[in-house]
Amino acid sequence: MYLRNIIYNFRRYSFLMIQMISRDFKVKYKRSVLGILWSLLYPLLMMSVMAIVFSTMFGRDIEGGNYLVYLMSGLVVFNYFNEATNNAMTSIIVNFSLMKKVYIPKYIFPLSKCLFVGINFLLTLIPLLLVVLITGAPITFNYLLLPYVFICMFVFTLGVSLFISAWSVFLRDVIYIYGIVITIWQYFTPIFYDLSFIPSELVAVFELNPLYQFIKFTRTILMYGKTPDLSNFIFCAVYAMIAIIFGCITFKSKQNKFIYYA
Amino acid sequence: MIKISNVTMKYDLGIEKNNSLKNTFINIFKKNKSKKENFDFYALDDISIQINRGEVLGLIGNNGAGKSTLLKIISGVMRPTSGCVEVNGVVSPMIELGAGFDMDLTARENIYLNGAVLGYSKKFLDERFDRIVEFSELIDFLDAPLKNYSSGMIAKLAFSISTIVDPEILIVDEILSVGDIKFQEKSKQKMLEMINGGTTVIYVSHSLDSIKDLCTKVAWLDHGKLVKIGDTEKVCNEYYSVQMN
Repeated sequence: MYLRNIIYNFRRYSFLMIQMISRDFKVKYKRSVLGILWSLLYPLLMMSVMAIVFSTMFGRDIEGGNYLVYLMSGLVVFNYFNEATNNAMTSIIVNFSLMKKVYIPKYIFPLSKCLFVGINFLLTLIPLLLVVLITGAPITFNYLLLPYVFICMFVFTLGVSLFISAWSVFLRDVIYIYGIVITIWQYFTPIFYDLSFIPSELVAVFELNPLYQFIKFTRTILMYGKTPDLSNFIFCAVYAMIAIIFGCITFKSKQNKFIYYA
Repeated sequence: MIKISNVTMKYDLGIEKNNSLKNTFINIFKKNKSKKENFDFYALDDISIQINRGEVLGLIGNNGAGKSTLLKIISGVMRPTSGCVEVNGVVSPMIELGAGFDMDLTARENIYLNGAVLGYSKKFLDERFDRIVEFSELIDFLDAPLKNYSSGMIAKLAFSISTIVDPEILIVDEILSVGDIKFQEKSKQKMLEMINGGTTVIYVSHSLDSIKDLCTKVAWLDHGKLVKIGDTEKVCNEYYSVQMN
């Protein structure tokens, strides 16, 4: 019964979500000359800068020597998670005036932000594929596995977004704390360095990082054209499940109280 | 159609004090030391009203009596602290117009955005788009961003979007006074049209004249309590004489 309610709400408000996402796009690139090209340019620029700075230090450790794809795949995935959760975290707080006027299912706000950044993410795949082609990495049938990791990433990000967006209503500190958490998380994820750089006792801990699992999956396919191993598959799915379950429970239990903390 | 049973809405005014981790920690230590101060505010206190299909209920009372709170509870924006509200039918709220208007977007885009916020589908809005524009008399400014509009124009646009639906239950909160005289008359005509079509209406206003024009019965709220509910003339006159004392 509850599931039917969700589906009904979904259909009723899907038009609103499309409207909100298109509004986000229009507002984001209003008055900018390059507009949506920035979504393509930004990862390329970031990668170039990091490659210039780090490739001599860390580039040698990468098997196959394809440091550019290694770097860029890590950046693109982490950036998606970073941007999506940051946007979603404040999505409820900034929409308080709307919530006070009309009934809207609250989960629409973090969900539409995750979708908006998700679409941006798909755009960033274009320059990534370009770099793959230029560096001559193999393109195999394993590319068909990419949607699997993207779905896991989306579900994981949505779960985290629901969780922090709910908590940020009651404790505004969450916004500042999360900024620090993300920075630390970024350094603990092997984006510009290889895992071999880490002392062997700590490797297991680094492997537990959910974002590392998503990145590793993507890199295995994009850099080597190989199939990721079973443990990688399982980790991605398990993390996604845990995040979405925690996120939904937290959100659902707290959503009726949001309006008092406006 | 709408059954409000023993609805109470209690606010804890002390909530502002606890907005961060620091305060949460401090409060843990404070719990044993001082009695929790009583900041409870009853916006609504044990309200029970029944509204039948097709009735037009007027809600009158001072500022702060709880009228808007009651409307928000009926339309689902808030849940009551205790008691329950049974609503049979889709509620079209006209509480605070222009929900979701984005000042950077044009009127055309905002019609779709606002319509979407109210729960309408694209097809529905496409069909009624021309009617909305005609009612709002803003056809020349359709593609200008909203931040260039005057407040009266924004209000007219918002009202036009809210009225294009044939609602089962309409909730109107003090918004019929927007716009110039011509627009006010048009709005009133539209309201009468909807009422005569069998819509159930809850109408909040400070204008006792318009209440007497439109409503079949009136409820008087004061400081969260239901003072009186009954015949329009009698309740309005009693309210007026008490206020003017």
